[in-house]
Amino acid sequence: MTTEAVPQPLSAAPARLRKKTAAGTGLNSAAGHLVMVLMSIFCLFPVYWMVATSFRPTNAIFETSLWPTTMSLDNYVYALNAIPIVQMLVNTLVVSVVVTVIQLFTGLLAAYAFARWRFPLDKLVYTGVALTWLVPFQVVMIPNYLLVAQMGLLDSVVALILPHFASALAILLLAQSMRSFPKEVIEAARMDGARSWRILWEIMTPNLRGTIASLAILIFISTWNEYFWPLLLSRTPENSVIQIGIQMFMTAEGNQWGPLMAASTMASLPILLIYVILQRQVIQSFMKSGIR
Amino acid sequence: MAELTLSSRGATAPARRSGVWRVSPWLYLAPAILTLVVWIYWPLVDALRLSFYQWNMLPTSPQLFVGWENYQRIFALPKFWQALRNTGIYVLGLLPLSVLIPLAIAIYTHDLPARWRNIYRAIIFVPMIIAPVVAAAVWRWLLDPGYGMVNLMIEWFGFDPVKFLADPKVAIWTIIAITGWKLIGFSTLILSAANANINPSLIEAARMDGASKWEIIRDIRLPLLSSSVLFLVMMTILLGAQWSFTYINVLTGGGPLGATTNIYYLLWDFGFSTMSVGWGSASAVILFLGFGAIAFVLFRLIDRYSFHDN
Repeated sequence: MTTEAVPQPLSAAPARLRKKTAAGTGLNSAAGHLVMVLMSIFCLFPVYWMVATSFRPTNAIFETSLWPTTMSLDNYVYALNAIPIVQMLVNTLVVSVVVTVIQLFTGLLAAYAFARWRFPLDKLVYTGVALTWLVPFQVVMIPNYLLVAQMGLLDSVVALILPHFASALAILLLAQSMRSFPKEVIEAARMDGARSWRILWEIMTPNLRGTIASLAILIFISTWNEYFWPLLLSRTPENSVIQIGIQMFMTAEGNQWGPLMAASTMASLPILLIYVILQRQVIQSFMKSGIR
Repeated sequence: MAELTLSSRGATAPARRSGVWRVSPWLYLAPAILTLVVWIYWPLVDALRLSFYQWNMLPTSPQLFVGWENYQRIFALPKFWQALRNTGIYVLGLLPLSVLIPLAIAIYTHDLPARWRNIYRAIIFVPMIIAPVVAAAVWRWLLDPGYGMVNLMIEWFGFDPVKFLADPKVAIWTIIAITGWKLIGFSTLILSAANANINPSLIEAARMDGASKWEIIRDIRLPLLSSSVLFLVMMTILLGAQWSFTYINVLTGGGPLGATTNIYYLLWDFGFSTMSVGWGSASAVILFLGFGAIAFVLFRLIDRYSFHDN
């Protein structure tokens, strides 16, 4: 959760450098801490307040003590009875896992094609893939909606997955790291008679574990948090994801703050757990591949 | 599909032996291309077509060809210009939160011990992984005019409570602030990482030459950070108004009086509240062209002006 030993050896060399400046800037560094503490409070307090509110008993919802003086699970019971949270969490989990697996699979295949072969129009296709990253979803939402309606899949979990079968992000990122894979190894495997399919799965993929893991984290989290597409399709809570559940709850029971915060906490719990366990990797995968 | 046939024809002619594996790149690409064509490229074409029609999305009702009428109507609509103006406000309002403040913080805190930096890093990144809907719910509670923590504090200082989401003058800034809250940690980390990558000997050399602190920032750090800064500026311009969609949808519904409606929200409003496919598609086409033009200019600018140290 906190720090690892990695920065230690690094700081050995510049330590001499820093010591010189640190003497003069003791006050400065206190101010630096102050800035960061303020920023940390700004970033973390809302999340903390969500959890704290969710545990307050109904009659103490408006209390302003930092932590509830008496704890209660009433809000959770209320929220679980008001909307099918468990079913929605299961749906969200299924959608997120399936999307992650499929997107990685199609991404690996496509990236392999780009990294392994030069073929006519390859540059054009690559650009075509990259450009999809720039198309705002709002621009294609009406035709997408109509297509799903035609297939009779409105209000179904399947439709939530379909448009995510492939993503520019996965393809480009995997293609990048595959290109830096030594060509000689592939050549050698080919000499040994390995077919391209086997080279992809038995030689390339195991060597891309790092990229694949960080992509998986990114895809999983962004699918879990997705709101817009489910919003278009969802009609009944049972067929929808947890984000829509919270939105429905908010519309229906506006100011039931305690249960609303309980539902929000449950919706965030899986992501926060992943973050607590894999903090470094999560941050890295977001920073490596940008936002979206 | 067309590409597949095209490639196999081109492939069989020059190299007979390689005829088998000339097709294989297309086989590997097929699932991805198929998905992107079905869900992005074809819809783009379809949106263009629908933008010339009048239709209410019911399969039973006829699609009526109206030519450029949808476009004319949209351009004559005050709501459209208001949304466009608001989109600009969103982007400009976000820039301080997504670029300026993070830049200042990254430079100001660069000499904190690595141990502490990592702890802060872990904390300020949290908003980034929180779901937008959850963020909206939490902020709605914090900003509640009667009992929300923020207004309690404002009252404690002796001021009147603020109707953050209901006051037409304030609402857009509230949405901007929430969008910024999600991003500020991420931006800070990007800039801190770039800042930490600056070769310390450059700074040391400048210091030996008697450069002041401010001169070092201005002449060394800022130019070396310029490509990261440009990247974040570009992301904000291209995506800033999109990021706020969820908060608008959940918190204000575009109101009060359209004060928080931006172009993305207007599209949603046309398409799914008023069910006018033609208007929705026409504004989608306008948005896509405008967005594409801006993206093109930005990429050119970045190519020309970003400064690399090696």
